[in-house]
Amino acid sequence: MRSYFIRQALMNIRKNLTVHILSLGTIVASLLILGAFLLLFGNLNNWLQRCGTTLSMSIYLKDGISEYRRDKVDSYIRGLPGAEIKQFISKEEALKDLRAALGDDAGFLSRLERNPLPASYEVVFESKGTYGVNPEKIKGELEKLDGVEEVQYTKEWLKKFEGFLAVVRLIGFIIGGLLCLCVVFIVTNTIKLTLYSRKDEIEILKLVGATDWFVKSPFLLEGMIQGTIGGILAVLTLFLGYLILPTENISLLGLTPLDFVFLPAGYLILILILGTVLGVIGSFIAIGRFFEV
Amino acid sequence: MTGPSGAGKTTLLRLIFGAEKPASGHILINSINLNRISRPKLDLLRRKIGFVFQDFKLLPKKTVSENVAIALEVIGLRPKFIRKKTHQTLRLVGLAHKEKAYPLSLSGGEQQRVAIARAIVKDPLILLADEPTGNLDPQLTMEIMELFKSIHQKGTTVVVATHSQELLQGTDCRTIVLNHGKISEDAL
Repeated sequence: MRSYFIRQALMNIRKNLTVHILSLGTIVASLLILGAFLLLFGNLNNWLQRCGTTLSMSIYLKDGISEYRRDKVDSYIRGLPGAEIKQFISKEEALKDLRAALGDDAGFLSRLERNPLPASYEVVFESKGTYGVNPEKIKGELEKLDGVEEVQYTKEWLKKFEGFLAVVRLIGFIIGGLLCLCVVFIVTNTIKLTLYSRKDEIEILKLVGATDWFVKSPFLLEGMIQGTIGGILAVLTLFLGYLILPTENISLLGLTPLDFVFLPAGYLILILILGTVLGVIGSFIAIGRFFEV
Repeated sequence: MTGPSGAGKTTLLRLIFGAEKPASGHILINSINLNRISRPKLDLLRRKIGFVFQDFKLLPKKTVSENVAIALEVIGLRPKFIRKKTHQTLRLVGLAHKEKAYPLSLSGGEQQRVAIARAIVKDPLILLADEPTGNLDPQLTMEIMELFKSIHQKGTTVVVATHSQELLQGTDCRTIVLNHGKISEDAL
């Protein structure tokens, strides 16, 4: 009996091949967009978490700070638990970096009467030590030191970015939901076309005593096959895209480089299951009211 | 079963088949009341009823053998048994040599015999035939009626609906005449 259903489902697909290929293409595109979104969002989320555990701080010094005061600030920083001075950027180096960053647009910098950029320390707190570190407190203490102009740390920015990610997540859910509806709609219509092309056969099957499920099963299977193949192709295309597109050394706003990795196995299985489930739901809706013989 | 067009012959067959429900009264088949039967049980009951249509209702893209086998496939029998039983039934209706042919390549009489083979392949308790000879010439009509007689002799109740009075002349079967939905004559 099972082989009969599979035979019938494959025969349906073969007989309406063009319609099925077109519908499959749309399913793949929808699941691919969904997968790409998961890939991007997952990586940004991981990156955010890594940034969150590594605290980095920029300590800007006042102009004309004496050597003595700078040594004081330097030794204060070294005395902070888990702190490591990654770099001291002098006023001249800061200007040089800005000039390099602006490229052709850096012309106006040569017309400046004096260098407005402050010298700064780039300090990183080791992950282990970060748990005990209160950045707000350190910031306050550092800003009290004579010669320190301003202190900024990554978490201030990360908080804003987390808010942005929450919006992206919401948009993702909405787009994902719409794409899922789109897949269901496509499968429903494809199966309806198959149903209409086999209307006579269905009528005869019912007349010779076929149960509803006997007639429905090949169509459910057809939707399931379509959804599963769509899921597999979407995952393969996504992986191909991941291999082809340059995903190494992506650095965001000078922070920890984005270590772009492919979707974990759980997410891939989720896309495959989603394709199958949406395929079954689509065909289920299509056959719902077709069997009133 | 005979009567003029619109007398209710087809409706009665559809009522027996469970395709329609009576507005009043009851349809009993082997003590099963069709008014109260559930959908799955009706499907199972239909496996014991064969139906032959005037327009044959054959699937043009399936071979003669596949058209007949459909009635056994829905029961979920083994493919080997289905092949054997289909061949036996087609031999019974004299079409064993046309197994691989497609319905549209057959004559009207042959197509009707394929439809009869499909209806009797599952050894039904009742065989319903709605104007089975309506599209056939007198010679083929006689052949089909002979076939029904031989099926009846094997123990199947055969109900044939026809508007043709000539078909019933000289027959020794019970004849019911319908008129405006009522039995106007019932003769053995």
